[in-house]
Amino acid sequence: MSGPTRGNGSSPASDGDSGDSSISDDHDVGSGVLNVPRTDGGSEAEGALSEARSAAATLRRRVEARALTLGAAVTALVLLVVFYYPVATVFVDAVFVEGRLTVEPIVSVLTSRFYLVDIFGFTAYQALLSTIASVLLGLPGAWILSRFEFPGRETLRSLTILPFVMPSIMVAIGFVATFGRNGTLNAVLGALGLPPVELLFTIEAIVIAHAFYNAPLVARVTTAAWESVDASAVETARSLGASPTRAFRDVVLPQLLPAVAIGATLTFVFTFASFPIVLALGGFQLATVEVFIYSRIQNLAYAEAAALAVVETAISVGLTYWYLRYEGRNRGSGQGARPQPRQSLWPDSWTAKATGSRVAIIGYGLVVLAVFVGPIASMVLTSLTGPQGLTLDHYLFLLERQQTGASYQVRPLPAIANSLRFGVGTLLVAVPMGVVVAVLTTREFRGRAAIDTLAMAPFAVSGIVVGLGLLRGLVFGVDAFGTRLQVTGAIAVVAAHAVGAYPFVTRNVAPLLGNLDPRLVESARSLGASRVRALVDIELPLVAAGVVAGAAFVFAISIGEFDSTVVLAEGSTSYTMPVAVERYLGRRLGPATAMGCILLAVTSLSFVIIERFGGRYGGRGGF
Amino acid sequence: MKLTLENVRKEYGETVALGRRSDGESRTDGGVTFEVGDGEFFTLVGPSGCGKTTTLRLVAGFDSPSAGIIRFDGRDMRGVPPEDRGVGVVFQNYALFPHLSVAENVAYGLRFSDPPDGAIRDQRVASLLDLVDLSNAGDRDPTELSGGQQQRIALARALAPGPDLLLLDEPMSALDARLRERLRMQIKEIQSTLGITTVYVTHDQEEALAISDRVAVMNDGEVEQIGTPRAVYRHPESRFVAEFVGDNNVFEGTVLDVRPRNAENRTDAAAGSGESPVETKGFGGGSAEPDLAVDVGGVEIRVETSLDVSEGDRVVFCVRPEHMEVRRDENARSDGSNVLDATVVESEFLGDSTRVYLQWRDRELTVRSDDPLDGDVRIDFDAADAHVVERLKK
Amino acid sequence: MKRRTFLRTVGVGGVAGVAGCVGGNGDGEETDERATSGNGDDTTGTTTGATESSTPELVVSTYGAFVDAPSTSPGPWLKEAFESEFDATLTYATPDSEINYYIERAMRGADIDADVYVGLNVDMLIRIDEQLDDGLFTAVGDISGQGDVKSGLNFDPDGRIVPYDTSYVSIVYNETFDDGDFVAPETFDGLLESEYAGDLLTQNPTGSATGKSFLLHTIDAKGPDGYLDYWEALQANDVRVLSDWATSYANYEDEEAPMVVSYSTDQVYASQSGEDLAKHQIRFLNDQGYAYPEGMSIFEGADDPELAREFLEFVLRPDVQGEIAQRNVAFPATTTAELPEEFAEYAQAPPEAVTFTYDELRDNVSEWTDAWERQFASK
Repeated sequence: MSGPTRGNGSSPASDGDSGDSSISDDHDVGSGVLNVPRTDGGSEAEGALSEARSAAATLRRRVEARALTLGAAVTALVLLVVFYYPVATVFVDAVFVEGRLTVEPIVSVLTSRFYLVDIFGFTAYQALLSTIASVLLGLPGAWILSRFEFPGRETLRSLTILPFVMPSIMVAIGFVATFGRNGTLNAVLGALGLPPVELLFTIEAIVIAHAFYNAPLVARVTTAAWESVDASAVETARSLGASPTRAFRDVVLPQLLPAVAIGATLTFVFTFASFPIVLALGGFQLATVEVFIYSRIQNLAYAEAAALAVVETAISVGLTYWYLRYEGRNRGSGQGARPQPRQSLWPDSWTAKATGSRVAIIGYGLVVLAVFVGPIASMVLTSLTGPQGLTLDHYLFLLERQQTGASYQVRPLPAIANSLRFGVGTLLVAVPMGVVVAVLTTREFRGRAAIDTLAMAPFAVSGIVVGLGLLRGLVFGVDAFGTRLQVTGAIAVVAAHAVGAYPFVTRNVAPLLGNLDPRLVESARSLGASRVRALVDIELPLVAAGVVAGAAFVFAISIGEFDSTVVLAEGSTSYTMPVAVERYLGRRLGPATAMGCILLAVTSLSFVIIERFGGRYGGRGGF
Repeated sequence: MKLTLENVRKEYGETVALGRRSDGESRTDGGVTFEVGDGEFFTLVGPSGCGKTTTLRLVAGFDSPSAGIIRFDGRDMRGVPPEDRGVGVVFQNYALFPHLSVAENVAYGLRFSDPPDGAIRDQRVASLLDLVDLSNAGDRDPTELSGGQQQRIALARALAPGPDLLLLDEPMSALDARLRERLRMQIKEIQSTLGITTVYVTHDQEEALAISDRVAVMNDGEVEQIGTPRAVYRHPESRFVAEFVGDNNVFEGTVLDVRPRNAENRTDAAAGSGESPVETKGFGGGSAEPDLAVDVGGVEIRVETSLDVSEGDRVVFCVRPEHMEVRRDENARSDGSNVLDATVVESEFLGDSTRVYLQWRDRELTVRSDDPLDGDVRIDFDAADAHVVERLKK
Repeated sequence: MKRRTFLRTVGVGGVAGVAGCVGGNGDGEETDERATSGNGDDTTGTTTGATESSTPELVVSTYGAFVDAPSTSPGPWLKEAFESEFDATLTYATPDSEINYYIERAMRGADIDADVYVGLNVDMLIRIDEQLDDGLFTAVGDISGQGDVKSGLNFDPDGRIVPYDTSYVSIVYNETFDDGDFVAPETFDGLLESEYAGDLLTQNPTGSATGKSFLLHTIDAKGPDGYLDYWEALQANDVRVLSDWATSYANYEDEEAPMVVSYSTDQVYASQSGEDLAKHQIRFLNDQGYAYPEGMSIFEGADDPELAREFLEFVLRPDVQGEIAQRNVAFPATTTAELPEEFAEYAQAPPEAVTFTYDELRDNVSEWTDAWERQFASK
């Protein structure tokens, strides 16, 4: 009862009244006598107008009272229609063979030395290495982005989203050009008189490519957490005699760990199901389980494909569940009222420590240059290169295709327009979905982690399985009440993107919501706000940083999504930029890379624009 | 507005947060029952975990009772969400909305209902800020204010929509002692000016006694005793209340002898202390009450009680420090019926008096004294000032 | 994050029966004729008659690159040419999962709204026959031009599929390697020489047509009992099995390795874009190329089977065969195709074409690829 006050970022500077002259602080009762009794409606003096108004207000309250329930129901329905039902149509093949219930396919996977040891074992091993690499590569980025001030910092942070939207074929092309035998890296090493490195067709290449995709994820979520560390907590530790290192370990690190943990968990789940970058850079001797799922589905060997996918999903879901239990136990200590000041990248004085950290930053910058800038620059270069050297031919091809392309051909402008439309549409659907799920799963109840895990499952299921499920469940439709119910086209694409993206909102928002003092909502409700009004008026403004950070991922996921889009856009003109990249792949890589560059340019521009808007609205921790 | 709780229980899984915890109760029995009259200032007081905040949360509608009924003016509030209950809540940690200005905080409740006095919103906000003496703070950021100021803003915010019931959950706990005393006076005055039914939760029994019309002492999920501050202080009905409310000396012993006693002495004792007649049932003075001889660790102590006690019963009784008189001189004749020889352990100077901790046999006693004491002392007290709170039949 | 399905490029995987059609064309015609007419009656009521008022519509389903490759694709020309001669509208459908899309639809009882499929190979046919009790396609019957199809390219014993072009999978190599001295080995055994360690790029057999053809070619060369040993040696010599043709070709063009498994028409593209032909040399191992014919067929529920048959006949016409071959950068399926002289200059045909028959593949191909996967992936 008399426990310590929960941190809600509103603690006063001191509990004694300050010597604030502008506010009277004597303690006599004010002279103004208030008219107290609350008119509970029904006063005879009220006119018809106010009755009508109160009727409207009553209606609004009734709707609002159920808004959250309604939101949860809609979210559940969307999940059911565009995720659980479609996926079930595939998974059922693992337990129903020729109309008979059987465990044979799953048992045969689990008893196969080849699958269990060689494939699942290797898949987990490379995912673990990739996770470690992503964390190691992401954390220094978070440190620089959150602790230093330099021109272009905001833009740089915006651009960290780019790897999310890179089609894997573009990454493969970029990596070959950068890390290949004749790649840029070896050219630089050669110029420095260093021996060349052989990276391609090794597990290292896979791990670096996975870090390319996922280190920015780790960096983004950690940056947001770092910026939320309250400077006064660090200062308190310092004043108590802690060295900067000690203060970091005791005060900052505990607040970063949950963010690092979510970044690492997601990285593991994503890289566990990685495909086809593994084959593109490693080769078939480094095949992961997803390669086999793809192969079995391609050959319509559904029982085996489904059994593999079920085992794969079980592992990812298990890990997700384990993480969510951890997250539930380790709610952070709340947003800081005052973030730590940033240092200038160019220090005022070159002390040993300042010099050391600047050298470290330069070293990290070189790694970033090689891992991130190298492949992207190579792709840009490829798009500008022909047999006779530099050329704009590939872009001219896109122009020509735009002008003369037939209706059944993929044209660049509709692809750009569709991508942006779906991106915005996905934002409008996924952000509310993610917030609703975050609100529901922030409450303490039995089985919370299980529900949360179910809501996170879209991350844990193979994209190939989801694609096939959407084809079966939505494109072909279901016979119901004598008509065939189908969901395709733009609405289906947006719904599928939203399902694949909303967990990012949930994961960004839920920890912040969990840190909010529940009494804020209770206060609002006792003042007459419905649950949903309290959410909109009080909670969301206070967790805006998380909402904006989640929204950035949502937009990027939608822009980069391929598996579902290509299935649902079938036969319509709903193709997106990644679909166009795939279509333009041919004997020469130029047109596809040109389209890939347009994809990157459009994405960058969108994020820089959104950053200006989101930065104003959401404050720190956003883009 | 009249608030009624009927057999209200709250369980979280297997854990009983409110209601009797012993086995063998049906789920609908053993809950919390009390009534708060219109305009009454009613306080729930008890130690941490006693269920007082749970009770408040059930009344506010933040949680639902596992069993029992809560009524507002007779209306069953089951299923009514907090926003439709017309309650104002003030929390210990203020819970001001940090992204809204002070005025916006106060005005927040007016987004959902019109000001009760027909005023326009800005006027209402201004008059409430005025009421809590923070007229100039409207544009400030709540985090810039001191704790006491924030708490007054929280009060103004809770009152703005004109609630029928004001719920205060440990509103002073985060404040320093001096500020606490000033603020509680202010709250009490505002409450009586507005005549609003108020339920106040605190773990501070002194605060409870100072501010309330009536208090309910809670322990371990149950209400131990309800009464005016004076009744609860003077006539605790359980050992817990005796020990929790105010300083007290509690003894336990076996009844050696029961003697009838004339009414005259009893009346004298009550009149002599200048107290008004007690209202708690079973203590209507005047009737002949038995005089007990109780063996407390080998010492015989005389105790008056109206309870039905027989020889051989075990009884628990208490004597307030202020009813124990200290004799410096060991040979001085004692006026009271009981004399104890004890040793001073420590003295605390309180300003108007001194609280003295004594060692008597294997227990500690507390007495009041005008002067600092040390060494061995003799204390005495009248049998009428000993109050039996529990008896265990032989 | 993005797990994209594999990309098809120049064509789709497949193999053809070099041993020639196992007789029975005559039988097929009879049954198929019946089936066609029966189905024709059957479907008129159920399918949408959207084009009733105007010109009839022919929906041709095919793979994306057939209509939409950035270099050249025959689709646009074919549509224009067909529509100019026939009173019909040709509409393309390009489902991402290709023929599996229609197998899935048939398995799940969903309508099939296409009339003709272009781009079938023997793998697809085996899948269709394994998964569906009723055929997805009807026998095309006697259509003019069918007699001109080269013997050995027909891969459907039941006469449902008519080949329209073929490719040959071979090694493409870069003789500018090793200071201009690089020469690819002439035999499969030559690939095992240590001087070719790490020199060959090929593709995942389950994800790419060229990769699968190359694997089948090794099985043909080394026998079903010997190919795994051969691959063990190949793997020890650092062969690179990459995800798909585009990736391996990108590696090849970046000169990561001097040899890549690709098509024997490679120089057609190279000469078109003015590249150094020394970097695009063709090698037929063991003097063989693995044949990879593509076929077309009519869906059982086609709205207008007669129009569909007219389309097939049109595609087999000598002038159309020549155009498709040039635009699809493949060899024509008929002996009568009209091709310009230059075509043969860059499109090289192998001295001997090899392939497995439908029956051989149906009985063995899953087993062969599974065994290969398990051996190769667990190393």
